This record gives sequence, C-alpha cells and structure tokens, in this order.
Amino acid sequence: MEVARTYGGVVASQLDDHPNRAAALINFGLKAESFRTGHLPDKPMPAAYRYLNHMAIKSVADALKHPETLAWTNIFAPVELLQCFDLECVSVEALSSYFSGFWIEDSLLDRSDAAGFAPTLCSYHRTFLGGFESGIIPEAKAAITTSLACDGNVNTFRHIATQSHIPLFVIDVPYQKTEEATRYVVRQLREAIALLEQATGKKFDIDRLREAIRRENRSKQHYLSFLEKRRKHLYPATLTLTEFTLFATHLSIGSEWAEKFFEMLDSDVEKYPVDTSHRIFWVHVTPYAEPALASYFNYSDVYSIAADDFNLDFTGQLDENHPLEALAEKLIDNVYNGPLSRKVDIVAREIEHYDCEGAIEFCHWGCRQSAGGAQLLRSKLRDRGIPMLVLDGDAVDRRNNQDGQIRTRLEAFFELLDGRKGGTA
Amino acid sequence: MIGYVCKYAPIELLHALGADPVRIEPLAVSFDAADACMHPNVCSFAKAVLEEMETGSYEGIVLTSCCDSMRRLYDALVDRFPEKFVYILDLPRHTDREACSLYAGQIRALARAYQEFSGAEFNRGCLIELFADGLRTPGQLRANGRPGQLSVGIIGARYNAAVGKLVEQCGMSVAFDLTCVGQNRDLSAAFGDGDVASELPELNDNELIEVYSEALLGQIPCMRMADISRREAFLKKALPQVDGVIYHTVKFCDMYAYEFASLRKLTDVPMLKIETDALRQSAGQVRTRVEAFAESLREEKGLMPAPSLIHRKGTAVYVLGIDSGSTSTNAVVIDGEQNIVSSLVIRTGARSIDSAHRACEEVLEQAGLKREDIAKLVATGYGRVSVDFADADITEITCHARGAHYFNPSVRTILDIGGQDSKAIRLNADGTVADFAMNDKCAAGTGRFLEAMARTLEVGIDELGPLSQQSTNKVQITSMCTVFAESEVISLIADNVDKADIAAGVHRAIAGKAYGLMHRVGLEPVYMMTGGVAKNPGVVAAVEERLGATLYICPEPEIVGAVGATLLGLDSLA
Repeated sequence: MEVARTYGGVVASQLDDHPNRAAALINFGLKAESFRTGHLPDKPMPAAYRYLNHMAIKSVADALKHPETLAWTNIFAPVELLQCFDLECVSVEALSSYFSGFWIEDSLLDRSDAAGFAPTLCSYHRTFLGGFESGIIPEAKAAITTSLACDGNVNTFRHIATQSHIPLFVIDVPYQKTEEATRYVVRQLREAIALLEQATGKKFDIDRLREAIRRENRSKQHYLSFLEKRRKHLYPATLTLTEFTLFATHLSIGSEWAEKFFEMLDSDVEKYPVDTSHRIFWVHVTPYAEPALASYFNYSDVYSIAADDFNLDFTGQLDENHPLEALAEKLIDNVYNGPLSRKVDIVAREIEHYDCEGAIEFCHWGCRQSAGGAQLLRSKLRDRGIPMLVLDGDAVDRRNNQDGQIRTRLEAFFELLDGRKGGTA
Repeated sequence: MIGYVCKYAPIELLHALGADPVRIEPLAVSFDAADACMHPNVCSFAKAVLEEMETGSYEGIVLTSCCDSMRRLYDALVDRFPEKFVYILDLPRHTDREACSLYAGQIRALARAYQEFSGAEFNRGCLIELFADGLRTPGQLRANGRPGQLSVGIIGARYNAAVGKLVEQCGMSVAFDLTCVGQNRDLSAAFGDGDVASELPELNDNELIEVYSEALLGQIPCMRMADISRREAFLKKALPQVDGVIYHTVKFCDMYAYEFASLRKLTDVPMLKIETDALRQSAGQVRTRVEAFAESLREEKGLMPAPSLIHRKGTAVYVLGIDSGSTSTNAVVIDGEQNIVSSLVIRTGARSIDSAHRACEEVLEQAGLKREDIAKLVATGYGRVSVDFADADITEITCHARGAHYFNPSVRTILDIGGQDSKAIRLNADGTVADFAMNDKCAAGTGRFLEAMARTLEVGIDELGPLSQQSTNKVQITSMCTVFAESEVISLIADNVDKADIAAGVHRAIAGKAYGLMHRVGLEPVYMMTGGVAKNPGVVAAVEERLGATLYICPEPEIVGAVGATLLGLDSLA
C-alpha cells in the first residue's frame, strides 16, 4: 500500500506539466502489478481469485498499451458485442478504481472540479473526467455506454467522445419491460454494431456473438453453482476481490478467461472449510480502500460477503438463437433498472436464498440511483425481518470517507447481528 | 390538481382527461420528510417536490423517468401516498420513430390508468385544440422586453418560481428558457414548416397520440437525451441575441454542470451560474448573485441607472460606504478627492442593522463628521438591503472590483473569502466586473468553514494561520463539505495528528476550493485577496502555492468592499 502511495505521489507530480509521462508511469505501474499478481501472488488468496486478480489488471494494462483496440464503456455495456470486434473494454468505473489504487484520485478529482464538473457527481465519473482533462487517458477507438444504471453515463461519455472526436453510441435502456421496449433496444444494438463496424473496419460475425453467449451462459451457471456451494464453504475473499469479480461478471463476461475463472471458483470452493461466519449480503459497490470495512471483511472467517447485488444483477440464461433480443432483455431485466419495488423483491429473495443474516448498502458519493433508494430498501427489508445497514462514503475518494464513523456503524450493526443470533439460539 | 415537473410530460393530454395539471415549482422550508425516506444526496429539487406533495393539495403527480432523482422520487411517493395517482412515464432518450412509438405507448397507458383512477372520459376535442395551440405557439426564442431592458436566457436544471421572479425584479426579461421544466414549450420543433395542426382532426386516436408523442420528444432536448445537437444549434443561434445567460443548477443535480463547462469555452456572452436548493432560506444568497449580474450587464450596455443627485453644493463632499457582511461590518468615509478619511471594522452582531448603525456612527465620529455632511451613503454586502438609512445599495461584487482597482489598478483577479460567501472576480482594466463566480450553496471554502475548523481544533480563529505555519507533515482534509470536514478533523484529533498539520490541511482544502473558483473566471494576473481571511497567513500561503503566484493584499483587506461602495457613490454624484 505504501509503495502505491509513494508511486502515486510521483505520478501526481507529473500530471500538470507532463501528462504523457504520468500516463507512462501508470502503464508501467499496471504492468508491474500485472507481473507481481502473476508471479508473486498474495498468500491467502485462493487460486481462482489469484487468476482473477492477474487477469483484471492485465486486461486494463493491455488495453491502455494498445489504444487501437481500446473501447471506453460503462460497466453495464453489452461487452459481448465489442468482443466480436476484438475490442478491449475499459470502463469508467474500472479505470477510476485503478487511479484510486495509485493514490492519484485526489489530484484528478480536483482537476474535474476545476474544469467545472459538479463536485456532487459520482466520483468514478469525476476521476475519469479529471484523468481525461489531464490528458492521461489514451484515446479509444469508440465509446459505448448504456443509460443504465445512472445519469452520469450519457453526459460523461458525450463529453469525452465529443472532445476526442470518437464515435459514441448511447444504448437507452427503457425503465419498463414491454415488447416494444425490447424491440427499441434491439434496434439500438443493431445501430451500435453498425457503428463498431465502421470504427474498426471489421464485419460483425453473429456466430462469434453466439459463441460469446454460450461462454457467458456456462460462466453464469458456474457462478451460481459456486454461490450455492459457498453457502456451506467459506471461500476467502477481500472487498477488492468482490469488486474485481465485476470484471468477470461484466466487463469480460463472455470471454474465455472469465469462463475459466468461474470454472475455477466452482471447482475450488468445496476444498475450503465450513462457513461459520456472519454472512452478509452486499448492496452496490464495495469500497476496497476503506480501512474499517477492509479490517472486518478481508480474509475474515468471522464476517463474510456471501453474495452481492452487483455481481448478481442479471443471472438469467441468454438465448443464443436470438442473441440481440437476449442482450436487450438482459439490460432491461437488470436489477438496477425499473422501480425500486422490483429491486426489493430480488434482493430479499437473494438474501434469503444465500442464508444471509443481513445486508449492507454502501451509498457511494454521488450515486443517486442507489443512495436515493437506500432508506426505502432498508425499511422494506426490515418489514421482512432482514436488518440492513446503510453506510455513506466514497468508493474512490479516500478523503471522502469518515473511517471512525463507518467503524462505529459497522460495529453496532455486527453487535445487533450477534444479538439476533444469540436470541434465536 | 395533478402535479408535473418535466417539459416532456403530456400536459395537454392531462387536460383532455379532465385533470388539472399544475407545474410544481417547490420552495420548501425543510427536507424533513424527504430526508426520512430518500437520501440527503438526492437532488434538492426532487426532495422539495416530495415536501410539496406532503401539503396534500395534489391528487397525484405525473413524473417521467428523466433522471435518477426523479426515479427515486417516484419510489418514495408511491410508497408514501398509495391512495394518490403517482405515475411515472418511461421517457426515451432517443427521438427516432421507435422511441416516439414507445413513448406513445406510455402516454396511452397513462391515459388508461388515469381514467381508471378518476373515472373521467377522454376529451379528444380538447387534446386537439390544446395540441394545435402548442403547435402554433412561436418558437422558444422571444423578442426583447421593454426597450432598455436587459434580455437574458435561462438554461439549466429546474428552477423554482422565486428565481424567475427575482430575474424580473432585477429588470431582466427572459428571452428563452432552456430548463427542465421549460416555461414555454415549443411543440412545433419536430415538424419544421409543415402545418400539422390543421391535420390533427383527420387522425384517429392512435395516430393522434403518435403525432403528439413525436411533438413532445421533438422539443429542444434537455441534457439527459442522447442527442443534444439541436440544443447546441439552438444555443448557437440564441446566445448572440441575449445580453447574458443565467445558468441554473440544482444542488445534487449533476447533469447541467457538463453543459456549463463546455458553454464557457464556446461563448463570450456573460454568464452567471447560480445554484439553488429549492429552500426558502437560500433566497438571499441567490439575490446577491443575480443583482450583481444585472449590475454588470447594465454597466456593459451603458444602462446604469441615472444617479440620484443629492449633492450638497458649496461644501466639501464626503461619501460613506457600509459593507454589511455576515461576520464583520466595515465602514469607510472618503472625500471628493477619493482620499480615505476614516475606516473601521466591527464584528457583526445578532442583528446586522444594529451593527450597521453602530459602524456608521463610529466612522463618522472618527472622521469628525456628522450624518448631514455625507453626500451619499452606499450600502453593500450580504445585509445591504436591510441598511434602510442608505441612499443606494450595490452588491459586494461590483464594490469589491471597484475597491480593488482603487488599491492596485493592475489587479485583474480578486479572491474574496467572506464569512458566508467566497468569490472570485475578474476585472476589466477600468475596475468594472468582467466575470465572477461564487461558492455554491454549501459553506465549504468560506470563513464559516475556517471558524468551524478552528472551533473543532480548539484554537482561536486568529491563531489558525500562525499555527499552520508550524506544520511538518502533509495531512489531507476533504474539500467536500464543512460538516464532513469537521468530523474528519475530529477523527484526526482522535488519531493524535499534530494540530499544526491539521490546520495546514484545512488551509489547503480552502485553497483548493478557492483555486477552483478563480479558475472558473479565468486566471489572469495580478491576483489580489480581500476579506477577513486574507489576514490568515496560512490560507494566503496555501492559495499562493496552488496558484503558483503571489497575492497582492492591501493594508486592510476587510474594507475593500466598503471603499468600492464609496467610490461608486462618488461616481454617482459626478
């Protein structure tokens, strides 16, 4: 951690006058980390996560090194389509997390504020915009975003695409599922394909998409099977690894490496001891750098995240015979879409299914779609007898987390869970 | 009464269904109900709408899925008012044929749901009539108001009625309104020159709704839409035709900051950014900004109001200026040759008017003058409107600019950190305002912020600066919010971090905010810092470090505004 911090200081010092040098330092740092995770992995880290850790860092490092195959996306973008064009997807969220990993998020956030972007905007978006304004983000071939799950997407992507003159397609995901809504999204996916064909000069091959979808379906089956086995066994994890799993469930879903990761998870988990921990269901992002949360959850056998709504935002199987319709429905059916009442039902079902004692929602700074519903979700879960803790903080900006505050709330919540366990015993 | 808050809402259809649609322009007193079921970080307009619904006068509300806050408002309202008609329309972001047909389906579903709720019949004739009216209404851009009046465009997020009224009160007429709620919707924008209105009676109900949906989606797009090129084209045409632009954003609505950031680079039209939070209490803060903007526009157009001559012939001329700030009240007397005769700074007490009286008496006494000797008394500052014995009041922005120019004519950028507000002002060579930017609603980066931090550190406000200069380690403080920063300082104290390091961190946080403001007006040297905080060597050093340049500070940085007020008063006697 201290190494990254010092390194971040060096990168930040170059931001103002030598953005290219700063970008080169970031690339070098990612490559070094990719090497380290491949050859000198963390000791307690299980094999599947070691592989994930290595691949997640490598995918970003490779993409930044080869801008000619780089596409900017958001975390919900239909990456299966981009894979058909051999494009590496780097999302706003992923890149900002890396910047935060290098301890330069503060300089980039300040840069974003000075450029006039709202300081109340989600800090994933602000960090990315700050990086863009600093000139340390390489130009991509194209940008694809969905309107799902938040307002920032359309505007952030429009800004960066306009400024760097690259083609952008916004996939508007309707709020309600109707036949018309699906048709509307399918038509947009076709337009996105046309745009990617033009940007890359490659022809779209629907059989490649079908292959990706088959891999995706197998991956999801492995993931659900892993989570099923995980009900009995404690598979050691950290907040960072829960976040990194989003690479496999989202940015790289449908890829060979993601499938391999899920296979490893599925086959590895039963080797681990019986889970006696307090099982928590996590709602929304995991702030990997928050010290109190990290100290309680990382490789802990007392408290563990049994499942989370983000990695489970869509668990259905896709119909390879109607791939575009399937991708459209996947977007509309996402747990983050539609009215909150739908999310309440899904989250409550998952909490029960995965034997969780309670839920924690982390209200990330600037995220209205998630934080805006947190109190309602909490009260609806309480009505069903499920305790939920709402924490406020920032998954990117270290300055914006009150560790003492989070620790007190977390410990009180754990005491409450202990009391409940004692009470029912 | 059915409320709505979005220009894409099918208002004409609601009329045709016998509903009484009313645009909600909320002004809340508190967000108690909203904070209980939403989150403090949800857009304050959405929270104020929830408070407005609490008043009980609405039978329901028709929202659109236009933004995250509105979607969450819908969830909260459905839960809170199960007996009311709370409805959300799925508003597409594209506007092509499929999108129009999707939205038409949404509008039909709304009609069915409302008929079921109210038992009312759909009046086809009524929809045709209102829709045709909408189609025939001239486009967005309106002619100027009265001759000599200022013409402005309002752009941005939803604003409440108070803002509109204030703009009018400041003598500005609204040439176009490109905000979310859109006071004047232009339903004809989708159809070019075709006479769609006369064809409406020929259409069957389904076709009618299709065309209506096309008209609604064809309006000049707001920032949540996927393609905003027609908005950009409109602005390109409209901006050169107005004297200024009021860019309105809402606390915790982020959408419009993007446009503001890019508009700044595109146009020279003077632009004022204001941020409101739909609370009654913020009216004063907004008033200062809008008035100062009107003053600077008038000056630019040569429309300054005729000076009221109360010149006393045959005697020496003295002008008195009072800057009634939230922390200090500053008074200055100058003579006709622009010499400062006397000046003083006192703390503002519980009632600003009492302090103003006291400052006036004392500064006169110091100068050996009586009230009758004063040819003109000009008030400025946050409390200027309540100084009822003043002959004129001018905002502190215009006054600071003039005062700064007096002390150092080469100054081009001023940073003023006051108790309540902090501001950056860019000056023309003659000491008039070229541009200014002020802090948003929140007190981060103001004198209040420093006071709160000093209190938490248990040191006097005057000790904070010297203390910070003993710092040896860099400590980071959030630049987000006074409240957050306060709890952060408390945690640092608990961790035994050296007070000097914390103080320096606080100053760097302030400097970061200040730099952002100065950046917004354009960083043009020479720089000057005014206001009480300019006496804090820690803040000055931190700002200078951030800026990479020195700050000019005059001998008494707190009286710059009051000096400017006297000079402007003297001008008016000429």
